[in-house]
Amino acid sequence: MLQTNNYSLVLLIQLALLAYDLFVNSFSELLRAAPVVQLVLFIIQDIAILFNVIIILLMMFNTYVFQVGLVSLLLERFRALLLLSALYLTLSISFHCWIMNLRWLDSNRFVWTDGLQTLFVFQRLSAVLYYYFYKRTTEYLGDPRLYEDSAWLRDAFARARQ
Amino acid sequence: MHSQWAYSGHNSHLHGPCHHDDRVHCPPCQDEMPLAKTKKKKPKKESNDAEDAEEPGLEMEGMVSRRQSESRDPLTPEPQDVQPQKKKKKKKAQTPDGENAQADMANGGDGVEQQTDGEEVIRKPKKKKKPKTTERQYSNEVDIEDEDIITDTLPSIPQHSLFSAPQGHSQPVGKMFIEKNRRFHAADRLDVGKPINQIEDYLEMRSLWTTRDVALRVHSGFRVIGLFSHGFLAGYAVWNIIVVYVLAGEQLTTLSNLLNQYHTLAYPAQSLLYLLLAISTVSAFDRVNLAKASVALRGFLTMDPAALASFLYFAALILSLSQQMTSDRINLYVSANATLWPEGSEHRFLQPWIVVNLVVALLVGLAWVFVSTRPDLDYTEGERSSNTRTLVSRLMMNSTDNVIIRDQCILLQRMFPSKNFCKSKLIILC
Repeated sequence: MLQTNNYSLVLLIQLALLAYDLFVNSFSELLRAAPVVQLVLFIIQDIAILFNVIIILLMMFNTYVFQVGLVSLLLERFRALLLLSALYLTLSISFHCWIMNLRWLDSNRFVWTDGLQTLFVFQRLSAVLYYYFYKRTTEYLGDPRLYEDSAWLRDAFARARQ
Repeated sequence: MHSQWAYSGHNSHLHGPCHHDDRVHCPPCQDEMPLAKTKKKKPKKESNDAEDAEEPGLEMEGMVSRRQSESRDPLTPEPQDVQPQKKKKKKKAQTPDGENAQADMANGGDGVEQQTDGEEVIRKPKKKKKPKTTERQYSNEVDIEDEDIITDTLPSIPQHSLFSAPQGHSQPVGKMFIEKNRRFHAADRLDVGKPINQIEDYLEMRSLWTTRDVALRVHSGFRVIGLFSHGFLAGYAVWNIIVVYVLAGEQLTTLSNLLNQYHTLAYPAQSLLYLLLAISTVSAFDRVNLAKASVALRGFLTMDPAALASFLYFAALILSLSQQMTSDRINLYVSANATLWPEGSEHRFLQPWIVVNLVVALLVGLAWVFVSTRPDLDYTEGERSSNTRTLVSRLMMNSTDNVIIRDQCILLQRMFPSKNFCKSKLIILC
């Protein structure tokens, strides 16, 4: 059974990581006085995305639905978030590596190209979708019905066994 | 298994049915039990049937009203210490506890069986008179003094059965035992007064908070942040485009002036624009419940304000991100003037940038109008149920007593002073 205090703490951590991610996405271009500053920010951002994914997976593993064995049910319900998280992580790492490679020698240089601009747009767009689906999923995982036995779960289990 | 009455002594409180929470066990409730027992025991004293009839009956009471508490285990040795005192006080010797203890132990396992055993035991006392007299003869033969024989129908401490009800006389003491974290702590009666009821009530209210309530609270909190972001973004976008047009002059004839004045603001403005657009877009997606495709599509087809707003915000976000390159170019106007801004290129780079910023300002302004016409609309939360309403409705369902509902209404009012529950349509009985 998920305790309210534990859930509140986990929710707080997740929202803090999301807020940090949004902060870096918004203001990292202003903090490029030294290339190492942007490098550290990007590394922490990528680790934060990874931590968020791990936390959400742990929350899924903690549900009664998962413990019963209905993994496919959970994956089907949360596949949008899992796919978006993987996409966003890939785009972020790619963009960070590219732009750091371009700006390492001179951080105040104009480095934009059409390809970099396209990758930038996709990375920022996927970030917004990632925020929305992640917030929604983490709120949904607070439903006590996922952590207790119920008629619909037994029906789903019976259907899965067939 | 242990008896809830196991630690009852003549100087201790009898703790009634206990609950696994922080509550003060009500002494008056406990005192009722001994009175009930004495009433039953009086007519039976003469027939010396008290022990045989009472103990199964008391066991029945104990089984029916029992709720075990783990913290009572350490207190079980107390009854044995109190027994010698009672032996000295009581002069009348009744049957020893041995045989009755064995009978009670046999009967103590099953509450259902005890009901039938109680009836059978009631019939039995008449038959047992003879064995008691023979036992007295045996006791005299072994030189046991009369003072050592307990004849009182009220056994001091029930050492026979774990499930029997307490039979000792409890007397009120100055201290109350408060259960906290499965342990009992002594506290003076005077110190524990009205605030206990408030604490109990507060803890009851706190125990109603579930993870779903936390999630709903976070969702509603973000909705408030989103609402602020909608308005701030609209105002900021309008201000930004007005400044750009003022600096650019009529027909964009003074673009060099715009570059000179605005180049330090371009990149911070772009960053702030993205931050506000991200928050507003997520908030708009929340309102339209974008994850449920059926609901979102229906909203788009029916020109729902929330759906239109989310579409407008998403379009504005894409347009804003597309101008990142030009914004960085404006930002580097002073440092890389020759390479980035050759002669005659200002109009070529800046006109699309100004037009896109104008479109973004119009889009976010229009989206803000759509959102502000129905600020409470939220398809993700469902029927606009607030956290307080959830609490209230739960209380209403759990209680049918008007007095209890009214008390809970008062408690809610204390917790949420800004809201008037007595006039709320949800609470009719306040």
